[in-house]
Amino acid sequence: MPLFNLSNVSKPKETNYDVAIIGAGPGGLASAIYAGRAGLKTIVFEKSTEGGQILLTDMIEDYPGFVSISGNALAENFLNHAKAFGSNFTNEEIIEADLTSKIKRLKTDLGNEYTAKTVVIATGSNPRKLGVPGEEEFMNRGVSYCAVCDGSFFKDKRVVVVGGGDSAVEEGLYMTKIAKEVTLIHRRDKLRAQKIAQERAFKSKMKFIWDSVVTEIGGSKNVEYVMIKNLKTNETTKYPTDGVFIYVGLIPNTQIFKDQIKTDENGFILTDEHMETNLEGVYAVGDVRKTPLRQIVTAAADGAIAVIDMTKYFD
Amino acid sequence: MAALLSEEDRKYLVDLFEKELKGEVKILFFGSKRKEECEYCDLTEQILQELAETNNKITIETHDFDEDALVKKYNVEMVPAILMLDSEGNDMRIRYYGIPSGYEFSSLIEDVIATSKKGEVDLSSSTLKKLEEIKSPLKLQVFVTPTCPYCPRAVLMAHKLAMKSPNIIGEMIEANEFPDLSMQYNVSSVPHIIINEGEGEFVGALPEDAFVEQIMSVVKGV
Repeated sequence: MPLFNLSNVSKPKETNYDVAIIGAGPGGLASAIYAGRAGLKTIVFEKSTEGGQILLTDMIEDYPGFVSISGNALAENFLNHAKAFGSNFTNEEIIEADLTSKIKRLKTDLGNEYTAKTVVIATGSNPRKLGVPGEEEFMNRGVSYCAVCDGSFFKDKRVVVVGGGDSAVEEGLYMTKIAKEVTLIHRRDKLRAQKIAQERAFKSKMKFIWDSVVTEIGGSKNVEYVMIKNLKTNETTKYPTDGVFIYVGLIPNTQIFKDQIKTDENGFILTDEHMETNLEGVYAVGDVRKTPLRQIVTAAADGAIAVIDMTKYFD
Repeated sequence: MAALLSEEDRKYLVDLFEKELKGEVKILFFGSKRKEECEYCDLTEQILQELAETNNKITIETHDFDEDALVKKYNVEMVPAILMLDSEGNDMRIRYYGIPSGYEFSSLIEDVIATSKKGEVDLSSSTLKKLEEIKSPLKLQVFVTPTCPYCPRAVLMAHKLAMKSPNIIGEMIEANEFPDLSMQYNVSSVPHIIINEGEGEFVGALPEDAFVEQIMSVVKGV
């Protein structure tokens, strides 16, 4: 991470565009690169910091061209690349979208209105909650969904990580550098994460509790324990911890489009092979889309496919 | 000491400020000679000096926390501290406690630009209307870490509200540098926003309407 990061200084803007890209993760930024190269007047909306989920990842080792790069540095490369081809950026959140008519209208949290001839939905997803007693109550008292944001509060403390996929294992490994004790709790008897991450986890100081789920998060002022139920024996035990990091899947950010865009039963947007949704000129790319794989490389590829197809509306 | 800003970032800032800065911006920096109590004072002062060198509209004034009269005038509570005055010497009512590094460096830049425009910031008309209802002092403390990508949004929101309401002070607090204060407010997930020293609080970079709603519920005592 650069000591002084300038990535989200916003630029001046107009209100009418050829392409509006909602979300500046890898899918949105790859779309911006292709749209800029296609000579389309492009704006990218990002509600927090450009980069998306990769900013929450300590190190990335599966994006071609980089054996190992920090999520932050890769995000900056993506952003600079998109800016180099002329895309505009603004730090506003889209709160209303009318996507059905030919000219799409977008309203932001600052009360500004924009129009665009085409829209790329690249809003990604948020961490899924566990949905157990204590999770809401201790949200700011030891429960976290972002190890890089909150990890430093758990220096020399005990934490548990819930989940068995890439995020759980990678962020758990990140926490082994900070916390005194890291225990991963997974409902199955093996991890789903990529093999190389698994091997590192097994070699690290991380402990594992298999075939188990967290049924409650408890404590007085702050988190003091989790209740863990073993799914094989049905036994429930109290496990002391100071922090709970939750990585149990994703919820797509599609709430504001729900009435207009077709999604699957979990809210992921359905597209054709060109990434176009049920609405003409509206595309979806990256994690928000119903797709068999959610990686940086697939999100970026989605963006390329979407924008190349979109040029048919500008011929 | 080697420059903290890369040549590329320095050029970027020179261009950006050339285009964006309207009037003068005076940045007041408060540090301490007691280095053991202010690990990041030197680094904070250096980055501000480098920032000032990118455009002659920006000036830096360094003050000693332990002996300076301005500490009282501006109610500076800890160090390192940064605040900004516009060309007429008006306090923008924004405070940075701790070094604005990582993602928070962007917040500092946005604030410099807004200060050069005498606090002209982008807020919705409904927010501006609600701010008129705030008649007594209101303090917003936004706890952050430099590695939190969501945090600048909350900091800038608090700062924008402070620039637009004479009763609001908007603070950024780097949680790692002030562990006692963070502990006092139970900060373990950022951004964590404390309203009026605990009358209200919330976690997360909420959109403008929801952010303002949280504040108004404290103002109205709901």
